[in-house]
Amino acid sequence: MSSRRSRSRQSGVSTEITDAQITDLVSKLQQLIPELRARRSDKVSAAKVLQETCNYIKNLHREVDDLSDRLSELLANTDSNSAQAAIIRSLLM
Amino acid sequence: MASLESIINAPEPSTNNPETTSPDADSNPNKRRKIGHRTVAADASLNHLHWTSQSEQQIYSTNLLRTLRHVLRRNPSPSTTASKPRQVRYAADRVLAAAAKGRTRWSRAILSSPPPFNNRRMLHKKAPAARKKVTGLRSMRNGTEKKKLPAVERKTRVLSRLVPGCRKLSFPNLLEEATDYISALEMQVRAMTALAELLAGGGSPSGLAGESLS
Repeated sequence: MSSRRSRSRQSGVSTEITDAQITDLVSKLQQLIPELRARRSDKVSAAKVLQETCNYIKNLHREVDDLSDRLSELLANTDSNSAQAAIIRSLLM
Repeated sequence: MASLESIINAPEPSTNNPETTSPDADSNPNKRRKIGHRTVAADASLNHLHWTSQSEQQIYSTNLLRTLRHVLRRNPSPSTTASKPRQVRYAADRVLAAAAKGRTRWSRAILSSPPPFNNRRMLHKKAPAARKKVTGLRSMRNGTEKKKLPAVERKTRVLSRLVPGCRKLSFPNLLEEATDYISALEMQVRAMTALAELLAGGGSPSGLAGESLS
């Protein structure tokens, strides 16, 4: 991965990825991260955006794991009636 | 929508490595500008927003609940099947990936990965992040500068490991995938949170309609 960007510069013709493109993508990513959304994009470095992105994804993974834990318990304990009620409710809304 | 069976049953190990072939250029409904053998979507910026819609979350919750009840109803042999939370996580990820309808690399990678195995005997591998703290060039010994990759490169590598199926992706494509993946994960959290609250008996009906993340 280390030579990816330099490789694209060397080949020149078809695999050129412009800096503007990258800046654009990085700023779009920044808008998604709650931590960085409020800050101006020219004040946040790409490294910072990437760092916070990684942290954010790890947090989301952890949340999903916790929720999986919770759901596995809830679904084991709950009787079929309330589970069906939940489905019906969800379908109606 | 993918059938219940296709989501629950793991596929055969695919001979087709999704990371090296790029059939998306032709079959993908999104307009993709071909740059060499790598593609950059022309309007990828808007795609990830569909994860925020209420209907998307609704559909996901319904499919997830159906899948989970099916999965947890089976009585698996405890020696070979993973724990229940693990199975729930696996199912939740697969239903999420199915909702992407094959448009993204991360979703295709999830759908082609095998089900979790009870690996009590295997040593649990630590995540790569535990290896070395990223401190930049501040760590210098004896005045000699250690040769390190630039910060952006290092963090890009970490990111590529976090997003499924994206280890060998170009930087722009990786960022695209990450953008979509994050939106999808957020929806997954919203949906599962609302489901949990509903099943716990305390949730109001509005709980399923796009709660914001805490």
